[in-house]
Amino acid sequence: MSDRSDLLLAIADDELFLGWRNSEWTGIAPFLEEDVAFSSIAQNEIGHARALYELAARELDTTADELAFDRDADEYRCAPLVQLRRLEWARTIARHWLYETADEIRLAILKASDDSEIAGIASKIDREEAYHRMHAEMWVERLLATGEGRARFNDAVDELWPYALGVLDDALRPELRERVEERLGRKLPDAEPVPRGRHETELRQLWEEMTMVRRSAPTGARW
Amino acid sequence: MDTRTQEFLEYVQDGGQVETGDWMPDEYRSKLVKFIEMHANSELMGVLPERDWILRAPTLQRKLALTAKIQDEVGHAQLIYRVVADLGKPRNACLDDLVSGRAKFHNVFHYPTKTWGDVGVIAWLVDAAAIVSQKALLKCSYAPYARIMKKICWEESFHILHGRDVILALVTGTQEQFELVQEALDRWWEPLMHFHGNQIPPDEDPMFVWRIKSQANEDARQQFLDGYVPQIRELGLEIPDSALRKDEESGRWLYTEPDWEKLRAVVTGHGPASQERLDFRRLSREQVAWVEQVVLAEAA
Repeated sequence: MSDRSDLLLAIADDELFLGWRNSEWTGIAPFLEEDVAFSSIAQNEIGHARALYELAARELDTTADELAFDRDADEYRCAPLVQLRRLEWARTIARHWLYETADEIRLAILKASDDSEIAGIASKIDREEAYHRMHAEMWVERLLATGEGRARFNDAVDELWPYALGVLDDALRPELRERVEERLGRKLPDAEPVPRGRHETELRQLWEEMTMVRRSAPTGARW
Repeated sequence: MDTRTQEFLEYVQDGGQVETGDWMPDEYRSKLVKFIEMHANSELMGVLPERDWILRAPTLQRKLALTAKIQDEVGHAQLIYRVVADLGKPRNACLDDLVSGRAKFHNVFHYPTKTWGDVGVIAWLVDAAAIVSQKALLKCSYAPYARIMKKICWEESFHILHGRDVILALVTGTQEQFELVQEALDRWWEPLMHFHGNQIPPDEDPMFVWRIKSQANEDARQQFLDGYVPQIRELGLEIPDSALRKDEESGRWLYTEPDWEKLRAVVTGHGPASQERLDFRRLSREQVAWVEQVVLAEAA
């Protein structure tokens, strides 16, 4: 597999899994308005995953659906941050915000890529991610505004921080640290990143569930 | 009945519509709240049978469509609770009554979803049954409710297309896929026949008397059967009621009388998935209760 497909799959897998995780709030978010918001975000993420898989599929001579569903659980390249099962609300917001912050850094590099297809798709994705970032920031502001919200949010960020570092390559991690520390107005602990490629137990469970319908008919069946 | 109430009743029975700020009899207001609240609860509880399948949807396109469909249902709940709030019952009071089991929601949402076939049947036929009732609400005597029904009906008609597309893919697929649909239809036929309620004469149905509903239960069921029995049969599926046929003379559908006691039991919380669904909603609500406190404290 080329570096290009490898890169496309890594980002597509991130978006696919986060889309799945965000849609776990469907029907049960703290407010109906948030239910609708997280559902929109989930749909965008899945749409981004599909566009990225389509690009990779051309090179790998397959289809977006086959890349999304028909690989073995061990072959997914997503960061462990997005593998974690539905987190309680403060952690959900922390993951949302940390991911969007990391994704913005990653997309800025891709938008400047010499590969016009990658640069094009990154710009397109970034236009939607801008709204996700606004949504995440609104919640960060809300949570930081009260004692209880602040305590819960800070704990959540500390817990997920090693996972957030794992979304990006070594070279981009200092920028993520700088942005997060600036927004929070405090230093974050030194942490060993939880690297891409590591598979949480939740990944296998999610894979079993997300492929169960599809696996119930022979390969190539229409759904 | 006092003169003013009598005049109001005649006004709505003549097709007149009422706005939020208009005078209305207390009985009318409480019937409206009960009816509209149950609709909102049903939209919200209707999310639960389908939400598990977002994760299991077998293609990216199906996953996107299902997520969007369920999002629509939450959006409908949001809109409809707002109508209830304007009538004097805030959303949180409705949600309290819902999780405590004091308020009702539609019979079809008290059943489990067992396979991807159920997902198709719900989106196609449950939503088709719902749209028959909802289209009749476009003429509801309470104008704000009638108005939002336009948007809701428009979105529901997309859900039916999505459901039909899921079903078409399955019935033209492998034998096992076809059987998924047949089994789902077998499971859902009774709840579908229950859906529009028992054959109460419209003059004895207070919701009709006040013209909250503009259609008798049986008329709604007949309209559903007229629209969908031919379509179901056209796909080679068998409807699990040997007595079901259209009487050419009267133009009415004849069918085995559904068990109305069972319907009553289901909607009062004794359906196969009633308690599990309510427990799940109660637990989820408790887990996120702190968020509302934090947000309210921030706003204060």
